[in-house]
Amino acid sequence: MLRAIALLLLALATPLAAAPVDYRLDTDGSRVQYRVAFGTDEIFGVMPVEDAAVALDFAMASNSSVSVTMNAAGATANFPFAAQALKGPSVLDTGTHPDITFSTTAFRASGNDAEVDGLITIRGVTRPITLRGGLFRERGQEPGDRSELLVRLTGAVQRSDFGADGFSDMVGDRVEIEVLARILRDE
Amino acid sequence: MSAANDTDGFGWVSRTIHWAMALGVIGALGFGTYIARMEVNLSNLWMFAAHKTVGITLLALLVLRVVWHLVSRPPEPLPAAPWKSAVARWAHRAFYLLLLAVPLSGWVASSATGIDTVVFGRWTLPAIAPASEAWEEAGFAVHSVLTKLLALLILLHIAGAVTRRDGTLRRMIAGRAA
Repeated sequence: MLRAIALLLLALATPLAAAPVDYRLDTDGSRVQYRVAFGTDEIFGVMPVEDAAVALDFAMASNSSVSVTMNAAGATANFPFAAQALKGPSVLDTGTHPDITFSTTAFRASGNDAEVDGLITIRGVTRPITLRGGLFRERGQEPGDRSELLVRLTGAVQRSDFGADGFSDMVGDRVEIEVLARILRDE
Repeated sequence: MSAANDTDGFGWVSRTIHWAMALGVIGALGFGTYIARMEVNLSNLWMFAAHKTVGITLLALLVLRVVWHLVSRPPEPLPAAPWKSAVARWAHRAFYLLLLAVPLSGWVASSATGIDTVVFGRWTLPAIAPASEAWEEAGFAVHSVLTKLLALLILLHIAGAVTRRDGTLRRMIAGRAA
């Protein structure tokens, strides 16, 4: 397991870095998990993170930015029909909109936590969203080593806001999202 | 007991298909109404697959019935008042139309959801409609209307069969009117 050490506050208190530092995504170590109510049960699964651009300003959090592209067409679910329904025309319609994108509009840090305001585009519909989370080091990394970091962001969307309202008599409207991205500093 | 039909009565093949379809159609209508209203979860999701299996089986039985009746002509309806004969004739035509259209509309709607139509838990049928929200909505709307028409037609058919005292019902049960 990863030792979750919130670096953000510490990082933000460090006056040395004056400009955003670019990171690249480790796609194999990154994914987006989702959960949604299905009657008394739950549908859950993952979407591959296809691409991400992360720039972190350890001196001024508001200069940081994150943009993520998720491969909705590659989504999996805990049972096969759910994955097909999820990708079908009345939900994500991945035939027409294979990706889900997110990009930040504001980045705030408070204590060990970060809040990221951004715009998420699902089915071609863009809506504001606020994600919460932080940056973490992996187990074994030296304190202060920011060459590899984990980004964890959580939030929720009402799928009906995006027209992804298929199977609304069976599947809940609120979808919980958790982005787990492993990022590597550009050398 | 003859397998083939003749001018006076139904053979056991026609009667078996008739009653199998009667049970299947009434069961599928009730089952479909139930699953459309139930709270769906992982433990009852199989019911949708079961409904599709019954529907496709009924479609296959309809094809079998039509082919069989081309091979072995069914007997002419028993004499009745002209208006009764006309109602019976049109009701039978409507039956064939609905028994074809109801499963096909369900198959279209199912295909349009983008979800595989799997029958008997193993065979995935080809999609017969594009994965499309418009097709999905239209397909389920048509399926819903047609199933209600079919239910009404069944009531009419049962009423006609029970009230006719000329051996029509007996002919479909025992093969002969008398």
